[in-house]
Amino acid sequence: MNVLVLVKQIPDPNNPYQLANNRLKRDGGQNVLDPGDEFGVEAALQLTEANGGEVTVVSMGPESAMEAIRRALSMGAHKGVLISDDSLQGADALVTARVLAAAIKKTGFDLVIAGVESTDGSTGTVPGAIAELLGVPLASFAKHLEIKDTTLHIQRQTEKGYDDVESPLPAVLTVTAGVNEPRYPTFKGIMQAKSKPVEQLKVGDLGLSADEAKATQTVNEVTPAPARGAGEKFEDDGTGAAKVADFLKEAKVI
Amino acid sequence: MNFTFSEEQDELRRTIRRFLDDKSPSTEVRRLMETPDGYDEAVWKQMAQELGLQALHIPEDYGGQGFSFVELGIVLEEMGRVLLCAPFLSTVGVAANAILNAGTEEQKKALLPGIASGETIATLALGEPGKGWTADDMTLESKDGVLNGTKTYVIDGTTANLIVVAAREAGTTGTDGISLYTVRGDAEGLNRKSLEAIDLTRKLAQLDFSGVKGDLLDEKGTAWPALQRTLDHAAVALAAEMCGGAQRALDMAVQYAKDRVQFGRPIGSFQAIKHKCADMLLEVESAKTAMYYALWVAAADDPELPIVAPMAKAYAADAFFKAARDNIQVHGGIGFTWEHDAHLYYRRAKSDELMFGDAPYHRELLAQRLGI
Repeated sequence: MNVLVLVKQIPDPNNPYQLANNRLKRDGGQNVLDPGDEFGVEAALQLTEANGGEVTVVSMGPESAMEAIRRALSMGAHKGVLISDDSLQGADALVTARVLAAAIKKTGFDLVIAGVESTDGSTGTVPGAIAELLGVPLASFAKHLEIKDTTLHIQRQTEKGYDDVESPLPAVLTVTAGVNEPRYPTFKGIMQAKSKPVEQLKVGDLGLSADEAKATQTVNEVTPAPARGAGEKFEDDGTGAAKVADFLKEAKVI
Repeated sequence: MNFTFSEEQDELRRTIRRFLDDKSPSTEVRRLMETPDGYDEAVWKQMAQELGLQALHIPEDYGGQGFSFVELGIVLEEMGRVLLCAPFLSTVGVAANAILNAGTEEQKKALLPGIASGETIATLALGEPGKGWTADDMTLESKDGVLNGTKTYVIDGTTANLIVVAAREAGTTGTDGISLYTVRGDAEGLNRKSLEAIDLTRKLAQLDFSGVKGDLLDEKGTAWPALQRTLDHAAVALAAEMCGGAQRALDMAVQYAKDRVQFGRPIGSFQAIKHKCADMLLEVESAKTAMYYALWVAAADDPELPIVAPMAKAYAADAFFKAARDNIQVHGGIGFTWEHDAHLYYRRAKSDELMFGDAPYHRELLAQRLGI
């Protein structure tokens, strides 16, 4: 079974982010494999350990994204695909999806696994767009998954609990942070990652036209999220609990 | 010999740091230091089965991964940084090396796979009450493989299920007649008593042997060179751990000097504080340099080990104690409280200072070995 995992290299989320031309500055600081993607890598490793097959990690990004791929390889993935092309600088979610879908098609797959959304961009639209472009079902927000015969069974996280969802393969799957505990690489794994094959592709290798690889969206302005305002103080004159309950109701928490 | 860390070694350090930040935050250290066993079995298992840390420097022939002392040192340094509560130094940094140095091929094949897999917790029973670390100080007696005597300050002595015991064959003196025996933790005639230690994060025990049957490592009475080599390895391993702790103490002090504002400015801008921090940095960096060199020497099996091991141990012990003490000074009042972690590092530094011999002992050892 061929399991592809989409991974992304992002600036270390523990450090304050920096912007350049309304875009996240990706060079200069410490970059890491998106922590949300580790769940996808772990899920893929568990699936292939149980059912056989290979895990391929796929990433689109600058040359330095190789480090994120190596990190996934050190956890145990078998090979990698890196699409790196200067023309993709500033690619939006749609272009990213087109490029990744083309690379996935070229590589061949039974299942594509991604995180629910990237930790830096958080659009959450890429996996859905890829499923559409590939013409396969999308099973999203999985908090538990297994494969029986050739059917994917997941528990899809909802606001109130979960839905049991089945999907035929091939499919695109997104996993939440609750799905597993990603393993730590061994030193042996780290050493082996260096010699595992990583295919490096350009836009031209994917049969995409220049137009298809051109961003359709631009970011005009970036505004920091408003700072949290001061809280509301209640004097407890016996009605405090009711007031708190009203407040929570208003916030639709209860 | 390569004097920089490779990309892979840096990645190993990042991985271990992330693992330990997850599994051994201060709250866990404080929880575990109050427990009798002093370690978390699930974390120990994960270290062995998932990360393969116990197997790291053990050769592949004996169930290990066959990497070197440099990788082991990186791991120990990170463990020292967070005061990890686990029998790692005793099992991997000391006992595994004792078996590697003293055991026969067969014994290594029998004993080391258990350590590599995390099943065996092992330690070295060496020090005796009121005694030092030289051959003459080894008085626990062995007669036909039956051990009688007392060992103390045995690291993780109550949790270890395999104990390597340094013993003196009856009727011998000096460096002749020293043997190493292995004893199971539940051996008949062995009485283990846990000691109240100044360092709460590392458990120490007194072991009383009365008529305990030991299994001899290699040949009778010939273990002194292997034991000395083991102590050199232990000194380097401990130095790595101490440097991790020292660096952390320095980092805490510097962070606090930046954060804490007094008289309208960060206290780090006052000479009394910044000079202290600069002096700490000097000592910590020097200690790390000596320790890294010692790791490479140990990894390369270089004949210089007997020279650099005591040097690294003596320097790291002084640097760690200075950093831990000055960290409390920089913190002022809050540094004296139980809730602040500063005292945990101070206690570890004090205990490590004396472990396997204090700094004056190691400087004397160095002088003797240099022939001064």
